[in-house]
Amino acid sequence: MERKAVRNLRLCTKDCLCLYVCPHGATDTEDSIIDVDKCTGCGECAAACPSGAISMVPVQYPPQQPKTEEVKACLNELAQSKSDGEVMAREIAKATDKPGLKRLMKAVERSERLIAEDIMREAGFMLPQGDGSHELLEELISNPPTSDFPSGKAGELLEKL
Amino acid sequence: MRYVCQICGYVYDDEKEQVPFEQLPDSWKCPLCGASKSDFKPEHKERETAEVTVNTEAADMKKLSAGQLAAVCTNLARGCEKQYKPAEAELFNELAAYFTRITPAINDADAETLSRQLQEDIDSYPDVRAVADRNQDRGAARVCVWGEKVTRMLSSLVERYLKEGEQMLADTDIWVCTVCGFVYIGSNPPEACPVCKVPAYKFEKVEGRA
Repeated sequence: MERKAVRNLRLCTKDCLCLYVCPHGATDTEDSIIDVDKCTGCGECAAACPSGAISMVPVQYPPQQPKTEEVKACLNELAQSKSDGEVMAREIAKATDKPGLKRLMKAVERSERLIAEDIMREAGFMLPQGDGSHELLEELISNPPTSDFPSGKAGELLEKL
Repeated sequence: MRYVCQICGYVYDDEKEQVPFEQLPDSWKCPLCGASKSDFKPEHKERETAEVTVNTEAADMKKLSAGQLAAVCTNLARGCEKQYKPAEAELFNELAAYFTRITPAINDADAETLSRQLQEDIDSYPDVRAVADRNQDRGAARVCVWGEKVTRMLSSLVERYLKEGEQMLADTDIWVCTVCGFVYIGSNPPEACPVCKVPAYKFEKVEGRA
């Protein structure tokens, strides 16, 4: 399976062994993100890294675990309720001038979105490269929800992923 | 008797503590996650879940609402970030911003209506869990475990705010776990998230403290 090296900046302790061992200079970048165009996936950098900051990830991800219709239906409904909670919290935060309530509602707004994200991830949208994501982008381009839907961005994503 | 925190699973065992649980003051908080005393329940036996029926029409991707699609897109943006694909993450975030913008407003929302909404969510988690289990879907079951705990915490904080008002938050910060959404009140985030166990640096402070 073809792989590429990726570096977790949080774990990187700048020991720089990846620079010494990379035969293609792919790890030597100004933003510390390994250059995917230069990386050939040899794995030398991941093997040499003393802090475990480099992982080898596949270029093509495997198909995702199938989801049944009833699991998707339940999760979608729960996500809708979480989205409603997010909208309520956002509006309460906007309308109030009480500093404590404003902060609490901002926290609830963020939290409800994170819960909804997690739910939708398990409802068939785990991988950006997965079938669910592709079918969704195609559907949105052929049937845009409103006339100002950014179809160009969706099309760009379809090409890149 | 043993009492279990419904949010983080901390156990208060009457036999090992100095003070029986019932005699703790109402202001007592879970030492692990800060949940209220009312978020503890006696350790319970298997609960019965009636046969849940599901209308599978909601599974149709074409029926997803703007709110649901906003969450799909920010989730996929985060998926791209994890794979170090910043350009793709940015594109998904732009789609998410579009969907957030067209999500219909909910009029006259206040803390009471939000509190009722959170309680409805708490009530619906066991049914979703039952469906996840009968489909042997461990990912969906895991979502129920995290989501129910975080929702209980949100509900408990909103309830507390309704009782205590502004003084509840006057001299303290609010932290959100950027992985599971757990909300923590305190000067510093917990060392590890009580729900999803990620380290403190994954928490973000809510800005805007007076």
